[in-house]
Amino acid sequence: MILKVTFPNKCIGCELCVLEAQRQLQKVGFEGSLIRVLRGRGDKGIGFSVELDPRINKLDIKKLQTICPTGVFTISEEDSDEFNQ
Amino acid sequence: MNLTSKKILLIDLEKLTYEVKSYTELQRYVGGVGLGLKLMDMFGEKDPLIISIGPLNGFFPYASKTSIVVNDGGVIEDFYIGGTMAARMRFTGIDSIVLNNTAESETILEILNSDVSFKRGETSSGSLGLPGRRSILSLDESKALLDSYFTTPEYFLENKFAKKNIKTISLTGTEVVSPLLMEKYQNLYHTLLARKHELSVNESSQPSCVNCPMGCERSKTGELGGNVLIHSLVACQYAEKIYSDVGIIFSCLNILGYDYTHEDIENLPGLIEETLKKLS
Repeated sequence: MILKVTFPNKCIGCELCVLEAQRQLQKVGFEGSLIRVLRGRGDKGIGFSVELDPRINKLDIKKLQTICPTGVFTISEEDSDEFNQ
Repeated sequence: MNLTSKKILLIDLEKLTYEVKSYTELQRYVGGVGLGLKLMDMFGEKDPLIISIGPLNGFFPYASKTSIVVNDGGVIEDFYIGGTMAARMRFTGIDSIVLNNTAESETILEILNSDVSFKRGETSSGSLGLPGRRSILSLDESKALLDSYFTTPEYFLENKFAKKNIKTISLTGTEVVSPLLMEKYQNLYHTLLARKHELSVNESSQPSCVNCPMGCERSKTGELGGNVLIHSLVACQYAEKIYSDVGIIFSCLNILGYDYTHEDIENLPGLIEETLKKLS
């Protein structure tokens, strides 16, 4: 099972996913997060892109999917390359 | 994380120098507007621009604003900006940034935790700070915009930026904290997050403040004045129903390790009023 950024255009930049990933690693903050929300220019003056570190799939990805208020993430059944090695 | 004192980043724009000082005596001002007003009392003759967060910022949902206090032509104004700034500032380890005096020429401040680099006006804002961990507050034609979107009410911030020759402030926080009561912290976090229906704004799909799922249409323009307890924490005014409950405030503070008492919180409005009287 892997977490995918399927609808990046829905991201509102709340970073609840970033902070949830950190809490699962017993920490609070942004440094070293396995999810990163990057900001740039977009339709509303600001646009977002979401980057995932493959190690994110070792966390509770269902919880990461459901904490997103706008449904940016989906969970795919396929195995990640990391686990096939 | 400062549990018994307030860590203040003092920047002198005239000399382009900075220092970090810890003040135990400022702890009772809690944060945000309370702390900002007291710092205005301490540094008023240097016409400071004071940016402050409160003890809950970065940790709990809807505690997502940053307080700004200025003297605007003899009137002390407090106003609030949403977006990323409060969360980034939390992880710099700094409670307040005090920008004293005036720069000789247009200046960009790049703040990384407790360190400040002073750059010339032509530096591209995209080259400042660390992606994913930074906030960029920049004077863009007529408005000061945070991350190209969030603003503050009126033109107090813009006037102060122009007067002090500040073009941009980039703020990056890379500290990481592990609350001692991590499990309790996580439970309370999710309990508060689940109370989003108690906020007095509707959910939307606009750019949101960090740690808030609402994406509301109000956060873009910031806040002006209001409940001093909410603005000392510094929570969103639309979460007033949650953060005006002293029991919740204590649960949050205790889980993080603060030793504030009921009296400290109850006495805060009086302390702020007293400080305001001194300022006027």
